[in-house]
Order: sequence, then C-alpha cells, then structure tokens
Amino acid sequence: MRIGRISKVLVQQRIMLLLLFVTTAAVLLVGRLVYLQIARNQFFQAKAIEQRIQRIPVEGRRGTIYDRNGIPLAVSVSATSVYAVPAQVENKEHTARVLSEILDLDYETVLARLNRRSASEWIKKKVSLEETQAVVQANLPGIGVVDSSERVYPYGSVAPQVLGFVGIDNQGLEGLELYYDDVLRGKPGQTVFERDAVGRRIEDGVEGYLPGAPGSDLVLTIDYYIQQVAQREVERATRETGSRLGLIVIADPKTGEILANAIYPTFDIETFADYPVQNRRNVAVTDTYEPGSTFKAVTAAIALEEGVATVNTGFFDPGYIRVSGWTIRCWNRGGHGPQSFFETLQNSCNPFYAKLGMELGSEKFYPNLIKWNFGSKMGVDFPGEVPGTVRSPDTGVPLVTWANIGFGQGLTMTPLQLLAAFGAIANNGIYSVPHYVKEIVSEDGSRGPEIPPPRRVVSEETTDILREALRSVITRGSAKRAEAPGYFVAGKTGTAQVVENGRYSHSKTVTSFAGFAPVHDPQMVALIVLWEPQGAFYGGIIAAPVFSRLTQQVMPFLGVDRKAMAEGGPWIRVPDVVGMTVEEGIRSLEEGNFEVEQIGDGTRIIGQAPEANARSERGAQVFIFTDTDYLPASTELPEPFGV
Amino acid sequence: MFTRGGKPDILVFAAVIALLAIGLIMVFSASSVMGISDYGDPYHYVQRQSILAVVGLVALFVLMRVDYHIFKSLALPGLVISFVLLVAVLFVGQGAGGATRWVRVGGFNLQPSELSKLAMINYAAVYISTKRERVRRFFSGLLPLLVILGIKFGLIMLEPDFGTGAALVFSTMVVIFAGGVHLGQLFALSAAALPVVYQLMIKEEYRLRRLLAFRDPWADPTGAGWSIIQSLLAIGSGGLFGLGLGRSRQKFSYLPEHHTDFIFAILCEELGFVGGALVILLFFVLAWRGLRIALQAKDLYGSLLAVGITSIIAFQALINIGVVTGSLPVTGIPLPFISHGGSSLLTSLAGVGVLLSISRQGKN
Repeated sequence: MRIGRISKVLVQQRIMLLLLFVTTAAVLLVGRLVYLQIARNQFFQAKAIEQRIQRIPVEGRRGTIYDRNGIPLAVSVSATSVYAVPAQVENKEHTARVLSEILDLDYETVLARLNRRSASEWIKKKVSLEETQAVVQANLPGIGVVDSSERVYPYGSVAPQVLGFVGIDNQGLEGLELYYDDVLRGKPGQTVFERDAVGRRIEDGVEGYLPGAPGSDLVLTIDYYIQQVAQREVERATRETGSRLGLIVIADPKTGEILANAIYPTFDIETFADYPVQNRRNVAVTDTYEPGSTFKAVTAAIALEEGVATVNTGFFDPGYIRVSGWTIRCWNRGGHGPQSFFETLQNSCNPFYAKLGMELGSEKFYPNLIKWNFGSKMGVDFPGEVPGTVRSPDTGVPLVTWANIGFGQGLTMTPLQLLAAFGAIANNGIYSVPHYVKEIVSEDGSRGPEIPPPRRVVSEETTDILREALRSVITRGSAKRAEAPGYFVAGKTGTAQVVENGRYSHSKTVTSFAGFAPVHDPQMVALIVLWEPQGAFYGGIIAAPVFSRLTQQVMPFLGVDRKAMAEGGPWIRVPDVVGMTVEEGIRSLEEGNFEVEQIGDGTRIIGQAPEANARSERGAQVFIFTDTDYLPASTELPEPFGV
Repeated sequence: MFTRGGKPDILVFAAVIALLAIGLIMVFSASSVMGISDYGDPYHYVQRQSILAVVGLVALFVLMRVDYHIFKSLALPGLVISFVLLVAVLFVGQGAGGATRWVRVGGFNLQPSELSKLAMINYAAVYISTKRERVRRFFSGLLPLLVILGIKFGLIMLEPDFGTGAALVFSTMVVIFAGGVHLGQLFALSAAALPVVYQLMIKEEYRLRRLLAFRDPWADPTGAGWSIIQSLLAIGSGGLFGLGLGRSRQKFSYLPEHHTDFIFAILCEELGFVGGALVILLFFVLAWRGLRIALQAKDLYGSLLAVGITSIIAFQALINIGVVTGSLPVTGIPLPFISHGGSSLLTSLAGVGVLLSISRQGKN
C-alpha cells in the first residue's frame, strides 16, 4: 500500500483544507448577520414598519370665516365619512348591498369601489348621524367610519362671490376659500394600522390615531350688516334699471378694507353648482371695464399735481374739441360755454378733460397712471385678479388716445382699481390696496394679510381741492341725487359706452357712480356700477340715487352722526320708532314729515336710521328695518339701532 | 449487515437534533398564518413536517447501525435508479412555477434530484476508493466520473432545478477534490466549464434578473428585488434578540417562501442575531465533526463518503444562508433540517445516519 499511504496523506491534507473553507464561510456569514441585525438594525426596522403601516387620512377642521364683527359666515361642522379597505372586505356583494341601502347609493358603484385594488376607498363623504350609526351597527369587515367635516353657512349666502366655496374634499374652489386655502386647511390627521402585503389588517398589529391640526380662521374686512345693505341695494338697482349686471363695493378709505362687495345676479353658496358661472364671478377683481366720466376725478388730480391745471384754470366749451383730425364732442352738444375748474367737473365736460389728457400726454399722464396702479395688478388678496390695460408710450400711443383717457375711455381697469383711486383722493393722497381679509387667526396668534403697504400717490393740497370739487358735483352738478342729507356726499357719475366688436356701442353703456362721505372726513368710499341698463343711461340719474340710499343706511353702522344741515332750514329730532309695529312707526314718522323707507317685510321695527333723537331736517328720508329678511333672529344688533 | 461498533459521534447527533427542533418550531411559527388562510388549520404544515421528521429519524437510527460498506455494492444500482427517476420526472413529474421536480409517492412529493445527490456521491466515493492512485490519470480516471456527473446535472437542469444541480456538482467536486485528484486537471476543467456555467446562468431571463437583483435589490423593489428586500427587512428588524417567537411581521405575506427557502429570515427576525448565529454555529459543528469523521474513517471509501455527505449539508446551508442574507444570488435551495419540505429532510437525515455509521467504525 505504498501509493495508498501517499494517497491517505493527500486526502487528509485536502480534508483539512475543506475544514478551513467551512470555518471561513461560517465566520463570514456570522459577520453578515452582525452587519444586518446589529449595525443596520434601525434602518431595516424603520423600513419594515413603513411598509406595514397603512394610514387613512382624517381631515383637520377647516378654519371658520368670520365677518369683521365676529359673525361666522362659513363654518366647518363635524360630519363623518365612510371608507372601505377593499382587501379586508369579506363578502363584497353583501357589503355593497348593505352599504347601498343604508347610504342611498348605487349598488354597482359601491361594488366597483370595493373591487378596486387600492389600499383604501371612500364610500361616501359627509354622512348623516343616522346613516353613520346604521353603518357602525352593520359591523361589516373592512368598512370604517372616520370624522370629517362639512362646510355650512349659518347666515346664508353672504358675499358669496367673495367667500367662494369648497369642493367635496373641503378644498377651496373659488374666492377666498381658494385664495386662503393653505391657511384655512388644517393639517390632516391619520388613523393608522398594520397591514399585511395584500392590505389585510394584522390582528395583533399596531393601531393608533394621529390627530391633525385645525386650520386658521379668517376675519374678513366685510361687515355683515353693510354687506346686507349692499346686497339689497344692488339687487334693487339692477332690477329697477333692467341692467345685465350690478356691482356695489364699499371700502374704508383709510385702510382699504372692503366693507361690502355685492353683485347681482348672485347665487346660493350651498347649491353653487346650480348657478351659471358668471353669477359666481367677483367682477370687482376679475373683470375690467372702461370707467368713463368717473375717471375725470383722477385726470383732474394728476393735472393739478403736474401743474397742467390749477384751481383757477377756466375753459370755454364750444361743444367739441379737435384732436389731430378727430373731433371729440361733449355729451352736451351745445357746449357748456365758459366754465370754472369746478364747473368742468360739475358739468362733466369732455372737451376740457380731453385737453388735460393731451397736455399731460405720454410724459406726464402715463407715469402717473402707473403710480396710481392702473394697468397692473394691485395685489388684492383674491384669486384671478386682472391688471387692466393702459397703453405704454413705447407702443406709439397717438395723441387722441391720451385725450380719450382724459375722460375715462381708452383704458380699462377693474372696479377695485377705480375704487382705490377714489379712496386715495378721500384719504389725503394716501393709496391703500383694497383687500378682503383683516386678520388670520391661528392657535399661535393672529397676523394681517399680505397686502402692499399704503403709499402716497398725490399731494394733500391736490386732494383738498379735489374733494371740494367732487362735493360741488353733488351740490351743484350732475349728481344731486347722490346726496344723503347730513352726510355730505362727494363723488362723480360716469357713463361709458361698451366696446363691442372693437367699436363703441350706441345702445350699451356702463353707468356708474364713485364717491365718498362725509366729504371732510371720509368714512366710506363706494363704487356703484351697472352694466347695460335699459332706458335712462346717465349715472346721475340711475347710479347716484343708489349712493344716497347706501350712505344713509351705512353711515349709522360706521358710527357717523348725521349733521344738521348747515345750509338747510330748522332741524328737528327723529322720533324713536324701534319696537313699534310698522304701521305705528310709519304714522309717527310721517307726522314729523319724514319720508319713510321700509326695509324688509316684517311687522315690527327692529332698527332705524338715522337713530332716534338724531337731528335732521323736514322731508329727510328715514329707513326702518323690520324683523324679517334682514337679520337672523339670534344676532345682536349693532349699536346704531340701539335695540 | 448490522455492526457492533463504537459509539456514534454524539456532537453530530446533538447538532442535528437541535437543528431539527429549531426547524419544527420555526416551520410552525412561519406557516401558522398561511396554514389558517390556506387550510383553516395553523398546524397543517408543521404536522406534515413532524411526520416526515419521525420517518427521517427512524431512517437515521437504522442507517446508523448498518455497516456502510453495503452501499459500496449499491453504488451502480443506485446510480441507475436515480437516472431512471430523473428521466421519469421529466415525463410524469409535477411541479410549480414552470418546473417539474416531484413525483407523488404515497401522498408525499418526492424529489428524485435529492436522492440522486446521495447516489452520486456514493458512486464517486466508490469509484475513487477503488481506483486509488489511478484516479490521478485523466482519461481513465477523472473524465468518466465527470461525464456521469455532467449527464446527471444536465437532467436536473431540464426540470429545471438549478439549486439542486449546483449542490450535486459542488458536493461531487468536493469528493473528487478530497479523493486526491490531480489539482491541475481539476483547475483546467473548471476553467473550461466556466463559459458553460455562465451560459446556463444567463440563458433564462428570470435567472439573470435574480442574479443581478441581489447586488442592488432596490433597483426593482416590487419585482426581482422583492424577495431579497423582504428577507433583509426581516433579518434586519430582528436585532440582537429578535421580535420574539411567533412575532414575525414579515410572514404576513410580505416574504415569499417564508416557511421553505426563506425560513432563515423569519428565524432571524423572531430570534434575532442570537438565534441566527446559533444556527450557523450548529451547521459549523456538523461540518467540523463530519470532516473529523472523514479523517478518522476506517478506509478511504468511508472518508470520501463522509466528506460527500457533509458537503451536501454544508453546501446547502452555506448557499441558503448566503442567499437569504443577500450575500449570494437568489437560488432556490432549502436550509437542511429547518426548511419545510419532505425530500430534503429525509435525504439529510438519511445521510446523517450513514455519517454516524462511518463514525462508529472509525478510530477514536
């Protein structure tokens, strides 16, 4: 066995080599376990948990929208939603049948949802309490109920075009609900459970609930009461004049806060989908128009500021003006003859303002228009703001365009841009961007909206003159009907032709009135715009009276006393009619020679304007507010009514 | 036929019993969820496994007492029978996932490829111990053995069953290596075989994707990388002491084959590093004692047979743990004594019975 011996040694050597190999392999594998299980334990554990955890989102409560007085306009109330985890549903047909009966849904639709290969499916959102209880009692595997919320409007449709509305998932779709969606939307919470790879709940797995955070509340600049006045008046004015569309915007000239923004035709916020889209537009921000004569106030301010005109400038109006071959006619074909500066505004004399427009021209007019924020977005806190158009001199603007702009044609703007300009005249030359939100209130405190800061656009000397001029338009000029006795209204009418197919229409007009009161310490600035009224076109005839009615109703809410007529006859006190029946009140007021305007069709008087014992004049208008159709019964009336 | 010899190697026996016990516990733990969902019975899988374990242990005790030299005469018939079975399975076999690997015998699925591993190493041990130094010649020594091995491997690859085929080739090569074959010839042949092996690896597209998946499983986390990612998540979340017996989360249908090929991952998840390292230690003890039995065997045949049996078990353990821990490409190889599955368990226990028989006749 010579060779056999050699062979045996060889075999033993090779077996020892195998042992070495086995030992090495074992050490390497243990090393791999050390790496996976000890060094990277947390990494793998986190990954494993992550893939097993199923999260069902639970909405955070959407913030409330209040008016400036703290009246809740849009509130999210708790509702429940029913969801399914398809993998956990045992008998799909049975489950679909039971759910479709309880929740009044289509059987096929429910079944289709249960058959989807998704982690979770919503079956129905915003479910009533009874339905919720029925679902819970049915005790169907894989079907769950989770808290969600529903948007309700306790005071009805208040400024619906401003508020906007939310969709099925409580996401803001339009208006402030959209613009401030990030703010209003809460941080969603989650229900959490452990699931296997096909989505079934693991019996002894982790279960839990991570609460979400509620959204912030909005306090609007809108005043519920003033908004009610504006909504009523815009509806009345639009209907009476047969207009296609009416708008009233009221703001505080000192701050730019919009107190009311009313549009007619309007829509019901709860059933928004049933109304045409144009009823839902906030035309104050999203549409432009040619302002017409109301713009003469801006032309006058810029001309005074630039020294093109002074308060002593006079003008002889032959009834037309020639501009590089064009003839611009005054609305008064016979001409106004010789006029003072104030009289040109009282008469709304086109040739004079065409002349100012030309003299200012591209060098002085254009930069000032930009300064006054025409032709660019103001930064209103509202979605879809449009800039309006002012032609840049770079494009070679002909002289006749500057002449047209002088009396408010040939440029477009949003109603809010014109309102802001009148606000600057009312507020000693300080321009404030109009806005809708006063405060954003979160759990951490409150902050203001992000609005460009107020800035000076014109000197106080100029606005002093202009306010007197605009006051004289009411006292001596074309807008006598805008006067509200005791409140010293100032303002300007306007009637512009509508541009149709590139030409000015002869039959369609936009009629407006822009003004403020009281003239020496303006508390409100307002703009009334009526698109395409039937019959009488002129702003002085149809828009000015609306301003009068607005002023008389709104001023008491702003805490402004009606001053005795300095230039009027002997004053008398307004009787106290609050608490009387309507018949008693009307009799009492008519005995005192007041003209009565009844608001609402109730039987008992719950408020009056002016308030009891205020000094007034014979024949002045007194508004009485009755107990229906105006204020919710649960609401406390504000001070001026003294209830 | 029976021998009155010395005592069997007690450490091998202890390690096998320990692995078997751990295996039954883990099969129960890993398969109870599946047993409920598939058969409404959490004990379904563990019951079958227990029956096979008992049968296997009986075989072990019988074979331990049999003189292993009787297998010397069974080498050629064994080889022929295993060839017949391997061909038969291609025609009457059953299987899953595009492969036919089983024939049904008395309610159990039998894998001829498992049996053929034992037949092959036995034949190799007989061949080399008979030829002695002549095995160092090429044409009359090494080549005939390699041809037989090649045909057998080819038949197994037709099923196909790459894992078992690899185990067959590896353990036979270990026997040839230990038998004192000329290393130069072995290396030259290996070099020549490499292109063939490479072709086989990339021939099937699924095989190639699996091969690449282990290098970066996160490149295709829901496809080829899924198993290995789920396996790593299971092992990694185990930590030092594990989540506790029965507390595996990955067994909730995340980890495929969690009671068979990937059972080691569930074990590591539930019993932690301590459990995983213990299993590796037990396999190491088995391999070390198996090689020691080979060193102290009565004759060259005993030596080579012991090396072969040890290498079958050790190779499968090494590959399985390597795959499950993401260290090697995914290959379907069960973990001996632990994975659910009858043929593997029976052949492993039978093999250990022969190993213990060799130890009883060895010098101490």
